[in-house]
Amino acid sequence: MMEHAWLIPIFPLVTFLVLLLSGGRLRERGAFIGIICTLASFVLSLLVLIERFKEPTYNISIDWLSFGGTQLTAGFEINQLNALMLVVVSLVSLLVQIYSKGYMKGEVRFSIFYAYLGFFTFAMLGLVMAPNLLQLYIFWELVGVGSFLLIGFYFYKLEAKAAAKKAFIMTRIGDVGLLIGIILLFWETGSFEYGEIFQAVQSGMISSEKLTLIAILIFIGAVGKSGQFPLHTWLPDAMEGPTPVSALIHAATMVAAGVYLVAAMFPLFMASFAAMQIVAITGGITAIFAASIAIVQKDVKRVLAYSTISQLGFMMLALGTSGYVAGVFHLMTHAFFKALLFLAAGSVIHAIHTQDMEKMGGLWRKLKWTGPMFLTGTLAISGFPLLSGFFSKDEILMAAWENGSYILFGLAVVTSFLTAFYMFRLFFMMFAGDSRSQVEQVKESPFTMLIPMLALALLAVIGGYIQTPWFGTFLGEWLVEGNEALLGASHSEGPVWIMLLAVLVSLAGIYLAYRIYAKKKLPRQWLVKENSEVYRILENKYYIDEIYHFTAGYAIKGFSIFLSYIERFIVGGLVSTVTSSIEGLGKIGSKLQTGQVQQYGMIAFLGLAVLLVIFAVTGGI
Amino acid sequence: MTGVPLSAYLVLALVLFCIGLYGALTKRNAVIVLISIELMLNAANINLVAFSKFGVTPSITGQVFSLFTITIAAAEAAVGLAILMSLYRNRKTVNVDEMEIMKN
Amino acid sequence: MSLSGELIAFIGLALVAIVGGVLLITLTKVVHMVIALVFTFLGIAGIYMLLSAEFVAIVQILIYSGAITIVMLFGIMLTKHQENDAPAKGGWGNFSLLAAIAGFAVAVYLGIYNLDIPVQPTALHEENTKQIGIELFQNM
Repeated sequence: MMEHAWLIPIFPLVTFLVLLLSGGRLRERGAFIGIICTLASFVLSLLVLIERFKEPTYNISIDWLSFGGTQLTAGFEINQLNALMLVVVSLVSLLVQIYSKGYMKGEVRFSIFYAYLGFFTFAMLGLVMAPNLLQLYIFWELVGVGSFLLIGFYFYKLEAKAAAKKAFIMTRIGDVGLLIGIILLFWETGSFEYGEIFQAVQSGMISSEKLTLIAILIFIGAVGKSGQFPLHTWLPDAMEGPTPVSALIHAATMVAAGVYLVAAMFPLFMASFAAMQIVAITGGITAIFAASIAIVQKDVKRVLAYSTISQLGFMMLALGTSGYVAGVFHLMTHAFFKALLFLAAGSVIHAIHTQDMEKMGGLWRKLKWTGPMFLTGTLAISGFPLLSGFFSKDEILMAAWENGSYILFGLAVVTSFLTAFYMFRLFFMMFAGDSRSQVEQVKESPFTMLIPMLALALLAVIGGYIQTPWFGTFLGEWLVEGNEALLGASHSEGPVWIMLLAVLVSLAGIYLAYRIYAKKKLPRQWLVKENSEVYRILENKYYIDEIYHFTAGYAIKGFSIFLSYIERFIVGGLVSTVTSSIEGLGKIGSKLQTGQVQQYGMIAFLGLAVLLVIFAVTGGI
Repeated sequence: MTGVPLSAYLVLALVLFCIGLYGALTKRNAVIVLISIELMLNAANINLVAFSKFGVTPSITGQVFSLFTITIAAAEAAVGLAILMSLYRNRKTVNVDEMEIMKN
Repeated sequence: MSLSGELIAFIGLALVAIVGGVLLITLTKVVHMVIALVFTFLGIAGIYMLLSAEFVAIVQILIYSGAITIVMLFGIMLTKHQENDAPAKGGWGNFSLLAAIAGFAVAVYLGIYNLDIPVQPTALHEENTKQIGIELFQNM
């Protein structure tokens, strides 16, 4: 089955091509094509995953280019991480596409939407299967294009257009780092292949300073794609896209690519202590930073966006503290519950047509299905015991503790408290209390939207049981199988009190949110006063956007003005000189063409005469 | 007996040719321009006939060729005048200076 | 160089031809110009005679002095013949043209004035027309 794995990304590509070429004539029937193709991908991925349990890594490649002594290959590889990612990506994509059939109903560019979804899925699947960095980079950029198209899907909205551009440009900054990193790696090792690179790293072919530099550059790429501090600002803005797209971007495709990259290049990072430190610190800072912003945001999707950033920070933190298994595990569980949260939030938005949670409330009774499912997702992300998020977060905390990064461990604990708090703040404001909505008739969403949510809710509950301290660490053992030396332990052992602390912290967060937002026992200003300095800073997301605007924005603007002057006066002057001189020449030429035959004859004869005279004078020499 | 040397004929032809050339390039009336061209052809004819008698290998061929030239010149004059007529009907002028629609 | 009859005839005919050409340039009335040209053509016909090309001379008189001149006269009459030919534009254009023609003439003259090809006896004048006929229809 694994030799046919190359078909997995092909199916969504077929969707894209068919829907694009049909030019929107299929309308809502386009959804079936998308769903069926993605279903085929998913089934195939599942089969591949099952086969990968028994068989070793499958790797096939063909020669693509050869120059000098270097061979560039193209192909695909199925290792544990790839197989897992394939299933997660295709599953989430499938569910999102089913969901979109209901959510996007009535949209004029319906089939285009599915075409983009297909393209996006194709890019991500291709990225995951890439056996070498060059191929990965190609698909990496394609993922960027896909996100650009989808975030800017409502391109007639000014914000959506700006958000799409922002996402594209911000991630591009990261991509430059990645590209330089890849080039440096090629420079050092002469290969793009993962295997050869890791061998070179292990054999100490690359000096440690270079290794650190390369790892950091590659990490910059991951920072851009995964929305880590300080390149995170595009991610909340990306909420301008349709909600299913947010689910896809946040759960499976775009942002997962960054984490996947770090995970795939993990042996490289392991070789450099400094790089690992940077990954871990960036992750930790991002986690708490985004969580603190999420506390005061009022837009449902923005809260979820910041929570995504925060959770991605968690993953980076895990990877940076040698918790390879923990990071990948959290990536998987997060894919499930974050997709669920987004789909449920989309369902709420679909029902009451607002994203402002101040205008929600009391929806628990009205949305009989969406409510419990949102609650499931919220519990899972908050690390409520026995749900998937609990196990994966636990694994991360353990990894951080075991690694001896106590400060980061503290950050992670605080963040999980904040996570529980803001997620339940969101939940209570949406579902508890009295209705503040203007919409009288709140209708539950159609089945096409509920079924994917149901599937995800199920996964969000049980997804964690493949790696628990009690029932065995199946996932971890499988993931590091054959690569123990490279990837580290299959499971992080830590003192028992860590788990208890995690539970306590998460319950404390939930309780606090309950007191403030559900029971209203505590005033809402209890934590931070409204209009206080802290509140304002949080409300404005630490003014990061503004800082960029005033530093990078103005610097670039100034530079562009400078360049535009060069363009206008130097380049333009040159061009206009050339044009005007040629124009002048042409004018002279056209003046010469008087239409006077005799003049022509005279000039021709003058020439002849001059030649003859010269001939006579020189005697024909 | 000292006859007229070859160069005398050639100089005569040269002079006639130059006169014809000058007329062809300066006269404003298209008919005169045509006539001047005939004059130039005639000058060339003199050369042909002169070489036919005083050339390196004298033969009758030169005269035959001058006959051809005369034929061509007559045809040319006829065609040229025909063109001139139709031009005159269209533009009401035979002034060469005014026949300049292809300028610029 | 003694004045042989041939030379006198040549000089006379050449003068007629050249004067006709000069008149062609200098006269103002178009019709007069054509008449002047007839003289040139006749002069050239005489030159042909001197060059023992009787047939060509006759053809010259018939075609040029007769046909072409008449055709030209018709052409003149069918167009605006009353007008005098506009005087040539003066200035640099004409001057440079004159200079060029003079240069041309001098250059060609340098080529021909020392041309000395030994005169060979010819029989062109004997049954000239027959020779032409034979050449035209038998040899060509």
